[in-house]
Amino acid sequence: MSDDGWPEPAVDYVQAIADTKILLGQRYGEWMLKGPNLEDDISGASNAQDEIGQVRQLFRLLTRQGVDDDWLESERDPEEYANAATLDAEAEAWPTFIVQVALTDRAAWLLLDAIDHDDFTGMVQKMGEDEYFHLEHHDGRLETLAEDQPEAVEAALEAYFPDILAFVGPATYDAASDPLVDAGFTDRPAAEIRRALFEHYADLFEGTDVSVPPLDDSVPDPDAWDETRRRVGDGHVESDVVDQLQGVSNQEYVIA
Amino acid sequence: MNYHVFTRVSAGDDLMHVGTVQADSDRLARIYAHRTYDEEDWDFIGVVHEENLIEVEGQPIAGGRTA
Repeated sequence: MSDDGWPEPAVDYVQAIADTKILLGQRYGEWMLKGPNLEDDISGASNAQDEIGQVRQLFRLLTRQGVDDDWLESERDPEEYANAATLDAEAEAWPTFIVQVALTDRAAWLLLDAIDHDDFTGMVQKMGEDEYFHLEHHDGRLETLAEDQPEAVEAALEAYFPDILAFVGPATYDAASDPLVDAGFTDRPAAEIRRALFEHYADLFEGTDVSVPPLDDSVPDPDAWDETRRRVGDGHVESDVVDQLQGVSNQEYVIA
Repeated sequence: MNYHVFTRVSAGDDLMHVGTVQADSDRLARIYAHRTYDEEDWDFIGVVHEENLIEVEGQPIAGGRTA
């Protein structure tokens, strides 16, 4: 497919990935000075840089599809961000943070990797090179946390799993019914990505005291699912976070 | 656990010790080393667990005397 017009649901799909990545950058940034050791802080800072760089590329593609640049960058209200609901609030503790970013970064990568469109060729491969280090860091950390604090890891998985499944999409979106697969924009339906995500963590925690929540086909409820914001309900990030994303307090220093 | 980080800029160069990382596993040590010492386009970067370094030390030898 050429870049002359994506199928309609594709703009929402890419918008949700981009907004999730901008919030991932924010959450990595919040934790980069308070991780348990310097190496985690450095890795978090690098991850934040990668995410913001990827957002620049995705925003560029969205503007080519007619999305307003000012709206993307600085004129949105909190409820207009289509980030995964897992990132609506800052995690309160290190194990929670690792589960939060691990699930979300991996899900965003799987959604991105499912895109089968000329506009993304090469770019997604480069992003995958970044993501390898993010996801290895998370999994390495989850392995040790599963031994040291299994209850905290399991509690965070239970808290975030419904929201990450909603971000990926409903179980009813299989190879025959996922509209993005039908339109030829992706080559992997949401139902398959959900299974891949679940199986990855089931394998990772096998033999530990951590149980991964079951893959519940009723979550999210397809009738209640918001296709645009890839979630259920009208939750959103707090306005002070959006102010930081949009650089509100430093607006006077913007280079024209 | 302490891991030593070794790198080289070009194939065929000797490895250089560029620093250390603290990590709970080999998997994490690889990632931390890449993230912490990524200032060059290394031809090679590797980590060695400090416990795997073999100390080279002198040994006192007997002088050949008999009691």
